[in-house]
Amino acid sequence: MSIQRTSITTVVALAVGVAVALGVGSNNVLSLLTQAVIYAVFAIGVGLLLRQNGMVSFGHALYFGFSGYLVGILLQLKVMPAEAAIVVTLLAVTLMAFVMGLVIVRVPGVAFGMLTLAIGQMFFLTASRSRGLTGGADGMSIEWPDTLFGVAQSQLLKPSAMFLICWVTLIVVLLLLTLLLGTRFGSITEAVRDNEERARFIGIQTLLPRAAIYALSATVTGVAGLLSALNTGFVSPENLHWSLSGVALMMVVVGGNKVLWGPALGAVVYFFAKDILGSYANHWMAIFGIALISVIVFSPSGIAGALAKLVRGQGAPGALARILRH
Amino acid sequence: MLTINLFNGLVYGALLIIMCSGLALIYGLRRVVNFAHGSLYMLGAYIGYSIAGYSNFWVALVAAPAIMAILGVLLDRYGFRLLQDRDPLSVVLVTFGLLLVIEDFVLTVWGKSNYSMSVPAALNMTIDLAGTSVPAYRIAVIAMGALVAISLSLWLRNSKIGLFVRAASTDPTTTAMQGVNTDALSAGVVGLGTALAGLAGVVAAPFLSLSPSMSSDVIIDSFVVVVIGGLGSLAGAFIAAMVLGMIQALGAVYLPDAAALLPFALMVAILIWKPAGFAGSRT
Repeated sequence: MSIQRTSITTVVALAVGVAVALGVGSNNVLSLLTQAVIYAVFAIGVGLLLRQNGMVSFGHALYFGFSGYLVGILLQLKVMPAEAAIVVTLLAVTLMAFVMGLVIVRVPGVAFGMLTLAIGQMFFLTASRSRGLTGGADGMSIEWPDTLFGVAQSQLLKPSAMFLICWVTLIVVLLLLTLLLGTRFGSITEAVRDNEERARFIGIQTLLPRAAIYALSATVTGVAGLLSALNTGFVSPENLHWSLSGVALMMVVVGGNKVLWGPALGAVVYFFAKDILGSYANHWMAIFGIALISVIVFSPSGIAGALAKLVRGQGAPGALARILRH
Repeated sequence: MLTINLFNGLVYGALLIIMCSGLALIYGLRRVVNFAHGSLYMLGAYIGYSIAGYSNFWVALVAAPAIMAILGVLLDRYGFRLLQDRDPLSVVLVTFGLLLVIEDFVLTVWGKSNYSMSVPAALNMTIDLAGTSVPAYRIAVIAMGALVAISLSLWLRNSKIGLFVRAASTDPTTTAMQGVNTDALSAGVVGLGTALAGLAGVVAAPFLSLSPSMSSDVIIDSFVVVVIGGLGSLAGAFIAAMVLGMIQALGAVYLPDAAALLPFALMVAILIWKPAGFAGSRT
């Protein structure tokens, strides 16, 4: 994407956010949208790993929950101002993921997914059991100070302000990722993803870029964890549970992973579907399980992929015909 | 004290052996890591519980794995076989979707409450083992694990079908060209693997409680076992299952705060040393 198109898209996206924040009167809809946007950031992190490394993580809730816990603990200990705690948390998540990435991205294919699941679940168990630091299974509330970045907390927690903060974060994350992946670093990671052996042959060091993408995807997920901590003021072992990683992965698959914003679309679809299902929501696991299977079987590139096909003129009938011919 | 802990480690290791041999068999033939394996274990346990309610434990021990075997054959016929040309990661995601469906099914049918299954009368006693009295049922669990490990190894090594299974695990295309019906073989092996998950569920039911979270606890440990042992390697899985069972049991007593992290530490250590697991690279 050219610089011009990128900046126009960014400005339009920001304007849409402001319009939604001002135009939507219902607080329920706004808080639903806020949640969707937070999970959109989460899913973009998971999608980034799949898109740039070709690796599926079943344990990204680790970084979602960990950043919430870390900022909560830092604020509880009162060792630094909240703004510094946010920065330290993101740096710590990135560093931790990078070191971990150096070990686990060497594990091939599906075994990597199983590893991430196991690691995430062990953090879940640790957080549920260590009552002293994390409040155990009850979770812990996060003591945000009265003003954050010079803005009063009461202003910050208004539904429209909260939505706008999350939306702007989402757009900034997308913008930064677009710019970063347009550089040489982006091309290197794609080369490594497509054929690691060949990339090594032409002199590319393959472990570091893969670990870097892993760390970056964890950072993005950590940002989502911080937004969630700000939005709810609470963090519990549920934030670390593997089912959350699964939900994020589902958003990636359903939304589509060919474009960066695909997972975000998946997140929005997920939350609105869950809201519309309403009384059937007890069975959301089965419904989304079936949806996940159907998308993989019938439209592997997700909703975003199907939309892109429609735009390019190979509409759904074509796709359907291809399936029928098989 | 040490005796009873080592003994409990053996019991859990035996349970993991039954679980992981199913996972490894399915991976060997279909190259599918079945994320739903833990849910199938849970389903087997609940089905066993219901059957035992109508009749007794021994009927459940046979009938629940038989039902699971049928499910496994259907899963292969209408799932894995149709998806065999797809990218392995998409198949993994399909099994993840299946996991969600099964979990929901179990919650809908049996609800959220915990159940416990009573130990069969014939095994409801304690036996004196080197000065410590241990429940006879747990000895039976160890025996069951050993039985599964030994009979699977002998079957794979000595029977004709075992030879086909080993051949198809190494190279399915060439095996099919030699006239082996690999589709039927796969259906049988996935059925067997699923039956083993169900068997593990029924065996576990009298000494672990039945709850909707029982699947995630055991699937995590099973994944650690098969990753450490090397994907698709039965021998690797058997050894890793025993090691992990011991670590869990001893860790829970001597390092209670870090017990949940010990398998993780072991796994990282093994993977730094050998990324494909200690018996890996056969795939």
